[in-house]
Amino acid sequence: MIQEIADALVESWRNFADAFVQFVPRLVAATIILAVGTAIAMLVRIVVHRLLASLHFDKMAARIGASEMLRVAELPSAELLVAKIAFWIVWIGFVVSAIDTLQFGAFQGLVEQFFHFVPRFLLALLVLALGFLFGNFVWRATLITSVNAGLPGARLLAAMLRLLVIAIGVVMALEQLRLATAVVLTAFAIAFGALMLGLAIAFGLGGRDAARDLLEQHFKAKPTRGDSDVGPHL
Amino acid sequence: MLESALSDTLLRQLMAVGQVDILVGLPTLNNAGTVTDVVRAVNVAFNRDFPRVRTVMINSDGGSTDGTPELVRAATLTEADMVQTSHSLRTLHRVLAPYHGLPGKHTALHSLFAAAELTQAKVLVVLDPSGPATIPERVSELIDPVLRGETQFLAPRYRRHARDGVLITQLVRPFVRAVYGVGLDEPLGAEFACAGAFASHCLDRDIWNHEAARFAIDLWLRSEAIATGVSVSQIWRPATSGAGLRATLREAVQQIVLSLAECLRAHENFWIATTAIVDLPTFGTDTAVIPDSPKWDVPSLAGHARQDLLAISPVLTEVLDRETVTRIVEDIARDEWSVDDELWVRIVYAFAVAMRRSRAGSEDLAGMFVPLYLWRAAAFMARTAPEQPTTVQQRLDGLCDTFLRLKPALVSGWSAEV
Repeated sequence: MIQEIADALVESWRNFADAFVQFVPRLVAATIILAVGTAIAMLVRIVVHRLLASLHFDKMAARIGASEMLRVAELPSAELLVAKIAFWIVWIGFVVSAIDTLQFGAFQGLVEQFFHFVPRFLLALLVLALGFLFGNFVWRATLITSVNAGLPGARLLAAMLRLLVIAIGVVMALEQLRLATAVVLTAFAIAFGALMLGLAIAFGLGGRDAARDLLEQHFKAKPTRGDSDVGPHL
Repeated sequence: MLESALSDTLLRQLMAVGQVDILVGLPTLNNAGTVTDVVRAVNVAFNRDFPRVRTVMINSDGGSTDGTPELVRAATLTEADMVQTSHSLRTLHRVLAPYHGLPGKHTALHSLFAAAELTQAKVLVVLDPSGPATIPERVSELIDPVLRGETQFLAPRYRRHARDGVLITQLVRPFVRAVYGVGLDEPLGAEFACAGAFASHCLDRDIWNHEAARFAIDLWLRSEAIATGVSVSQIWRPATSGAGLRATLREAVQQIVLSLAECLRAHENFWIATTAIVDLPTFGTDTAVIPDSPKWDVPSLAGHARQDLLAISPVLTEVLDRETVTRIVEDIARDEWSVDDELWVRIVYAFAVAMRRSRAGSEDLAGMFVPLYLWRAAAFMARTAPEQPTTVQQRLDGLCDTFLRLKPALVSGWSAEV
């Protein structure tokens, strides 16, 4: 009986020792991967930051209106943000590799999944950036045109259009990430439909006179604000 | 080039006319009220002052609906005209042809320039169909200096009240003077005369289908003449009003700003090197009679300017530094606006530089400039309302000096690497 217990203990110890002997090199390898990965990720962050600085990326971001959004959201500058994103992508890649090296059953296939996710993530970022770019373009053009056309509430109109375009961009980006796609799309469709219906009702009923004035102004070529006295200017 | 500018009808008629020495062009659009007098004046001038010269008058109509072409066709010499006129020794040709292509004066002028090239005209004169050439003397005085070879481009000069034509006096005139270095009074004047060689030269330039030419082709023609070294002169003419203008004020400002930017691009090798303003020779007699000050609705203009500037202030920072935008916003918050020449000139130059850097967004930039012009115009009108014309004129001269003094800022901004 005692012998059997001792054998079991020895067997158990032997299994543990074997497993430990097998695990330690993997742990060391994972630690090395993590350390090297962290160093590489930091290097990538520095390189990306400097590269973007040399390309005046912050100015480009300011031009498309992204800087203002980042400032409001209390996020770092566009250059730093992209550099940090690059750092985290690289670092998480190495972390996943390190975990995979440990060969835990629950994390099997994690590397493969991660590297499938990265392109989608980058594409989502691109879609988001284009959304900001196009949204700002629409905002600027609408603001200038509606001011010179004498439309009331030019700023509000331009801001709403920008918000709409950016919202579409965000939804498309989330779709790329495949995050709660059905919920996001449904919520967006309902919100968008409700907004348009609300606007149509408000404009058609509440703003009937304004609508008539605008249409008359457009089709009867009535001079817009400040244009009746063009002669003396020339 | 000729084929694209001339319709088959016009080409056929011009081939029947053959070579001419003087081509008088009359681009019209609903000018029934004045066109008969102008056509008669041209006929009398041809008969009386140029009886031995081959002449043709071409009416290039943009689709008038008030019977203008019919009036041009029917206009004949009156008995009074016959008494004071000898008979021409040559056939007086009159060609009527609607122009085809993009609507606008530039398309009409394109046809006239092509006609001048085809007929090998020595002188091309373009008259304003709404006046002031309603007497023959006014036609002949435009033709004479160019025909005699005393100048190659003759631009009108008007005696205005110093508070009249604010868009000219606050922007176009001082800008063109400082940038091109010539004392040109009316860069946008509707009439002009030029040598046939210059007309041929202009035909070869890629401007006719350009959007910037649609409104301010006259500006481009003058700047092209100056930049290519053609001898440019001015002639005193009775002032014309912009009453016949079909564009709105905002459209006019936008188009002029676009045209100024296009001229800067086209002639940068010339204007960057000029540093002083040269006076131009002037023909004719100055009536020296200062017209009355125009009536301005300053509060209305100021209200639009204030509202529009507040609306677009977020985008102004794309062109102007934050300090300047803050100054503008603070200024419009006050009841009495300041008239700071230096600030205005720096704004104008900043927009010129921005339009060089962002060609694709030029129209938006021109649109952003409109409220700034309204602000400046309202400030100028309000400030000068109680002042004597001589005092206002001194202000205008001072503005020209400021444009010239700050020109290095434009040159350095323009020349900076994009």
